[in-house]
Amino acid sequence: MQQDMKRLPPDRSEPNDTAGHLARIKGWHEEFESSIDTLVSYLQDLSRRSKQAQVECSRNYSRAAELSRAKSRFTYEVSHEVRSPLAAVYNVLNVVIDGYLKGDREKQVELLIRARRRVREVIALLNDLLTLSLLEESTGRLKKESLDLRSILVPVYDQMRDYAAERDVKLSWQWGDELPVLLGNTELLRRVFINIVDNAIKYTDPGGSVEVDARKDGDTFLFQVADTGIGIPDDELPRIFEVFFRGARARSEGKAEGMGLGLSLVKRIVDDHRGTISLTSKFGVGTTVTVRFLEHQKGASGGEASTHSR
Amino acid sequence: MAKRVLIVDDDPEFVETTKIILESGGYETSWAKDGLEALTRLNETRPDIILLDVMMRTKGDGVWTSQRLRSDERFRGIPVLMITAVNRESDTRSFHLDPSADGDFLPVDGFLEKPVEPEVLLREVARLTSR
Repeated sequence: MQQDMKRLPPDRSEPNDTAGHLARIKGWHEEFESSIDTLVSYLQDLSRRSKQAQVECSRNYSRAAELSRAKSRFTYEVSHEVRSPLAAVYNVLNVVIDGYLKGDREKQVELLIRARRRVREVIALLNDLLTLSLLEESTGRLKKESLDLRSILVPVYDQMRDYAAERDVKLSWQWGDELPVLLGNTELLRRVFINIVDNAIKYTDPGGSVEVDARKDGDTFLFQVADTGIGIPDDELPRIFEVFFRGARARSEGKAEGMGLGLSLVKRIVDDHRGTISLTSKFGVGTTVTVRFLEHQKGASGGEASTHSR
Repeated sequence: MAKRVLIVDDDPEFVETTKIILESGGYETSWAKDGLEALTRLNETRPDIILLDVMMRTKGDGVWTSQRLRSDERFRGIPVLMITAVNRESDTRSFHLDPSADGDFLPVDGFLEKPVEPEVLLREVARLTSR
């Protein structure tokens, strides 16, 4: 960056050679100016780079601070989500054991049944959290294998058909003639399919319908679930994949058990399988969820133990 | 006349059992599932105390509600007992109060952590309604 100053020419002039002196002084002056210019541009460059470094440093710092905030927020929400049902169960036990119901056996049993459901909720939440942390830790390194979609989807269909019948929701399931082979984790993908169909049935009133379309579409596997359910208000749509987010109606009407980890978990699993998920909804009309996974091509890169990271 | 308690909480089992406990202590109870509904209830009947959950998922969480209650002179005199499933009062401050606002100000009269022992609940409600 810094130029070596040129050696000044030796003084070989005659004592009274004024013009020669002036020329030499001019020469020195030019040398001096050009060195100053070099120095100034060097300093400017240095200052610009230091500013860049500062910006980058503060960007990294705020990113780290943001992550740390998100993490403590997450811990806070998890502890709330675990403590709430436990507090409810604790209250039920107190009320039953300490005789607040004065031997009203029917009420006691009713409350205990509800308490049991809340305990199941906590267990489901803990399972979801374990899956989530597994996904966080091993992004892209989960055990994936070529899998036969039909062997995953048929049990899902059986289970969901029963649930739909129980809730008096019409479930129609379109199977494509051909289902592609996917590279994935069987258990995690099963959760994706179950969760999406289960949500659709859960948020659809009796008499409504849920349509599932499962087929090969180009070089992807398309899994689309459309319901005539309660829909999602526009202002809630952007938050739908957030951890612990649940819509106002889901909460207030007690429609949904569970804690709101479902869709955020689904999204993470889909991301981990390099698939895509999208959701469109009209409040009061219905919701459509579309998931796509790339077909596994034999001999394609990214084999069994992919090290891809997002 | 029986004292009236308004329970503001979105957890159905917690609300029902809290009602049972309070009614055994001779209180009348009513319920609102969130802050917005609580403000509507308040216009109908005036309770002697409000039990307020912090983290409600629907419109109006507990901090929002307590601030609304304190800024409305009709409701300012009603004692508010905050009951929450979060760990500490400080969590409530750091996660629910706007840091740019007056951070130390959580306008409630008492603070209980879930789970609440029935006798502690009855004692706190009695203390705050007898002032």
